[in-house]
This record gives sequence, structure tokens and C-alpha cells, in this order.
Amino acid sequence: MTLAAETAKPTRRPFLLRWIDGLRPSSIVVPTFLVAWSLLVLLPLLVIVVFSFFSVKYYKVVYSPTFETWESLINSGRWLSAVRTLRVAVTMTVIELLLAFPFALWLAKGCRSKYVKAAIITLLTIPFFLDASSRIIVWRSILGANGAVNSLLMWLGVTDAPIEWLLYSEFAVHFGLIGTHFPTMVFPIFLSCALIDNDYIAASQDLGARPSQTLFTVIIPLALPGIVAGIVFTLVPLMAAFVEPQLLGGGFVDLLGNSVNSALQQLKYPTAAALSTFVVALLGICLAVLILVLRKRADISAMFVAMKR
Amino acid sequence: MTDDTTKANGLSRRDFLGSTLSVGAMGLAASMMPGMDQAAWAASNEVSLYGVTTAQLKDWSRMTDSIGLTMNYTPTNADIGIFMRDVMGNNLGATQDIFIFDGGSEDLLGPEGFYAEIVEDHPELTLWERTPDSWKRANFLRADDKQFGVPVIGNGDAFGYFPEKIGASPDGMDEVPWTTFFEGEDVRGRVAIDRSWLQSMSETANFLKHHGRLDVEDPADLPPEAARTVADYLVERKRAGQFRTIFTAFEEQVQLFSNREADMINCWEPAVKEANNALGPDTVIYAFTVEGYYLWGHGAHVASAAMERDNVDNIYKMLNYFLGGEYRAYQAKERGYAGPNMDLGVKYAEENGWSEEDIAELKWTEEKVARKFQKPFSCKVVPENAGVMEEEWQRFLNA
Repeated sequence: MTLAAETAKPTRRPFLLRWIDGLRPSSIVVPTFLVAWSLLVLLPLLVIVVFSFFSVKYYKVVYSPTFETWESLINSGRWLSAVRTLRVAVTMTVIELLLAFPFALWLAKGCRSKYVKAAIITLLTIPFFLDASSRIIVWRSILGANGAVNSLLMWLGVTDAPIEWLLYSEFAVHFGLIGTHFPTMVFPIFLSCALIDNDYIAASQDLGARPSQTLFTVIIPLALPGIVAGIVFTLVPLMAAFVEPQLLGGGFVDLLGNSVNSALQQLKYPTAAALSTFVVALLGICLAVLILVLRKRADISAMFVAMKR
Repeated sequence: MTDDTTKANGLSRRDFLGSTLSVGAMGLAASMMPGMDQAAWAASNEVSLYGVTTAQLKDWSRMTDSIGLTMNYTPTNADIGIFMRDVMGNNLGATQDIFIFDGGSEDLLGPEGFYAEIVEDHPELTLWERTPDSWKRANFLRADDKQFGVPVIGNGDAFGYFPEKIGASPDGMDEVPWTTFFEGEDVRGRVAIDRSWLQSMSETANFLKHHGRLDVEDPADLPPEAARTVADYLVERKRAGQFRTIFTAFEEQVQLFSNREADMINCWEPAVKEANNALGPDTVIYAFTVEGYYLWGHGAHVASAAMERDNVDNIYKMLNYFLGGEYRAYQAKERGYAGPNMDLGVKYAEENGWSEEDIAELKWTEEKVARKFQKPFSCKVVPENAGVMEEEWQRFLNA
């Protein structure tokens, strides 16, 4: 055989390279993601559920299955802190949404100066740079019985005595949470509003729609992905709120984070696990109810179509 | 309970983990260094100590000048859970020679083999014999009739108050009943109670026991029935509006007094000192009480693993330093805490030219703590009924 004949013969590529070439992105990424997701998220969750059925005796975990921890969750009233946390988190998410949506819409469509817009966005990031304790503790000297607000109210003659519920109350906790979680609601809504084509809004107005009609039939449906993202990014961290209840609630607003922390300080890992399992179950039930209710009124998956544009 | 300045300084769990990891990393690095064998450990004259911040001197160099040892101090806060986890789970005995924590940890860590029994006749422990039994034989240093700790500092915790708010003598020498704290009409809605159930539940139980409203042997270790009674009482007082807040940190104690947000707080004594720095001398008084105190003491415990190393003499030399005059004098001056052999502290101050005022303050610290320790009540940081007490405390918090 001549050299020319040898070179003319088609070379067979190694099996591994042919296999890789034959793969489509989805056949690599999807299984990898699913395996990683299972290992990183679902497996620890499963361990937490299993751990909740152990108990602690004298600072040591007893690895034999028992309902003792779950019973103590009810007897100690710890489950109340989980329910209270859910209530505060949902209330705060609604408040943040009501405050953030008009602001984000104005920032995206109403604010004409790009310098003002940049300055506002920069200011919104400040909470992320400051330690939560240092940021929140300031409110104690403002809202306290001898604080700035009460002093001003008494000086103005609005009240004769300090208003005690301004601090160490659920009001104070809600107030403190507003600033912390406002940016996480604003940013996703701002981004989705900014993506709305101005021509759609103009067309709606040209066709004689009232501002409220444009808002409810054009803007909100198109901004829905951002709204949903804002709700998720706000609600989830609120479930773990720790600093505000501790510093502004004065121990009277015991939320999940404080209860878990107290359990962990005593090395009661099963109690912390049971509380976490309880909350995940609560969230799961809420989500299931939301899907069931919305399924009859709207196609949830349709809102993501807007993101394709 | 203790002057947990780690909280006051805002030492977070992140800081704590950082320091713990540093300790671990240093230990690992040391074990991998070819020359760092047992002999090198002994030759370094350094003793490694892991303990609560309150036991620290502000300047350890004077100790080096006095006894030739250098201190490698890794501070932790007063959280018993974290301390237990680090000693038992993270095996800190491999790198640390001495642990200092609230007395009581030896109940678990002694019999479990993490603390070594104190060698009372060790030649370097020269001050042991003259140390009063009231300190060295305290039940918060012993377990199973064995000595697992050397006393370091101690105090009796009660509450601070503004004397004019309850009509008490401004000189602070009155014994104020805990009844004022829990049920006083003058301070209703103006009382702040510590979120630490170890302290608050024990103090409440002691108050109830003193007045015949609770039948319990040890107010610091409440069986289920007693814990439920104490929690019920606290829930009733909470609903009656007695408490302004349930505080967490040292800085909160100071702020609550400084802002006059609360009139009475079951705080730590240094908080009163700090508040008076802002409000003026003797504005807030730390109480002598009728019913008793949350008496606590820090114990220095030798890690069992350290007894296998070659620096045992240095370890005992340092334990002896904690019983001596220099450490005693500076602890009292810097933090207002007393300890064993206070007379040696006074002697040290006199010999080293301290002012009359400072010497008088040392003598007052000794007198004050002696007066408190006459009351029959102490704390327990690892009560056998910790689980049930914590659960009942949660019921109070959620009420």
C-alpha cells in the first residue's frame, strides 16, 4: 500500500469524541443540573426531615426514631413562631409589593434623567452593604419612649405620654423590615417594567384606554415575571428574618429564626430540623393552594412567555 | 450572667467561626511542621487558652514579665452550646491547653474525659493550699467528687435599678426584693428581662422558692413540673404587662439604662458601670437583694489531651497565676469582678503603688462579693433538665 493510499483512507475518530459530538446541550446540562440539584438541595432537606425524628438528651443527639421532638414543638408553642413568621412574611410581602410596584414603574418609565435613575438604584443597594444590626439598632433610639419620634410628638402636643408600641412591638418589627426588603422587591419589577416596549403603552393610550386600563391590561401582565420574582426574593428571606424581630420586637415577636437559634444554642438539632420541616411543609401547602386557585383564573405558565420577547 | 463583651463588641458567629477555624488551621499547620514536636511545644513557653472574653486581661504582657509565660488566648462568647460543640465535636483539646468557661461545664465534660482532673499537689500550683474552700471547692468546679477546675473569677448577678423609681436609698446598700422586679407596680411595664433562660428562669425559680410558691431543690435545674410552674408565672407577669422588653445582648442592657427605656433590668454588673459612665456616678445601682443572686464563677479547666504533652508545668504555672494577686487586682480593676485570694490582689496593689482610691475599690469588690456569696443560690450552666427548661422558656416567649 502506498503512502498516498493510506492518507486517502478516512480516519475513524475516537469513540469518546464521537459521543461528545453527538450530545445535545440539553442532554448534558439537564441531567447534570438535576443530579446537582438533588445532591445540593433535596438531599440536605431529606436529612433535615429524618433528623426531626431524633431527640436530644443532655446535649447529645439520640439516634433512635421518636415523635418526642414533634410533640415538644406543639407543647412548647414553638409551632406558633412558625405560623407567626409566615403571617409576618406574607403581610410584609404584600406591603412591599404595594410600595415597590408604583416606585419601580416610575423609575422604569417615569424617571427621565438617567443620572437620577442611577443615583436611586445606587441608593437602593445600600442595605446590602451595611450590617443589618448596625442599620436596625439606630431605630431603637428613634422609636423608643424617649426617642426622637416620641419627643417630637410630645413637643407638638399630639400626645401627653410616650407611645410605647412604637418600639418592642409587631409594628416596630414590620417597620424595620420595610427598608431591608424593599430593594429585593423593587429590582425585579423595575427590570421587567423597563423591558416593556413604550409603543405598547402608547398604543393603549391611542386606542382610548384609561390609565387604569393600560395599567391592568398592558403593564401588569407584561411585568408579571418581575412581580413574581420580587415576591419570591422578598418572601423567602422574610421567612428567615432574625435581626429585626430581635432588636425591634424586644422579645415579644418571636419569629422562626429566633426560635431556631435558641434551639441550636442548646445543640437541639432535631428541634431546629423539625421547625424547618414544618415551615417547608407550610410553604408547600401555601404554594399548592396558590396554584390551585390561580389555575382556574389564569394560565401561570403564560406569564413566562413575555420573557421570550 | 457574665460580662459577655463579645456580644458588646458585636462579635458575631462569623467572627467566632473565623477564630475557631484559625485555631484549627494553626493546630493543623503546627502538627505538619517537621520541627514542631512535643519538645518544641514545651520550649515555646506559650500556653494556649480557649475561653470566655471576661477572663482575659487587657494586657497579658505583664503576666509574661511576672512568670515568663506567653498567652495565646482564643476568645469565645458565653454560649454553652457553641462551647460544648467545639470542645466535644471539634476536638479543641488537640490544640488548646486550658479552657475557661462558666463553672458547671465540668458536670458533662469532666466525666466524659474532655477535662483532666486537677493535680492539686502539682509543684507549680503553689497557691492552691491557701485558696479558700468557698472558692476552690465550689460545686461549679467539681463533678463526681473530683476537682475539674481552678477558680478564676466570680460574681453574684441580680438587677440594676434607678433608686428614685422605687423609693430606694441612693447609696445602694438597701436589699431590694426580687418582688419589686417581678410584681412592683412602680416599675410595671418598665422591667427588662434577660432572654437567657438559664439566668431568668433560675432567678424566677429562686424568687418563687424563697416566698414558698415553688417547691424545688435546685432553682437552677428545674424538673418538668417546676419548670412549668415558673413558665406559667412568667407568662402571667408578661400578660400583666410587667416587662418592657426581653433583651439579648450586653449592649442592650447598657442602652436600655442609658436611654431610660427601662427602670429595672436583670443585667450584668458591668452594664451598670457603663450606664453610669453616661448618666453620672451612682445614677443606676446594682442591687443587693433579699432573695439571693445568680452566683457564678469561671473555672479554668485543663484539656485532657494537654496532659499528654510536655508543657504541663507551664499549664499549672498559669493556673497558679489565676489564683495570684496580679491577676486578681487587674480583673477587679478592669471589670469589677472578684475571685479567690482577693487579699493577694490588695497586697499586690499596695506593693505596686496603686492609688488609695484603686485599693479601696479592690477592698469594696471583695466585700461586695463576699456579701452576695452568703446567699444560698448558684447557677448551673448545664442543668440536667436543660431540654425541658428551654422548651418551657419558649412557651413564655410565644405567650
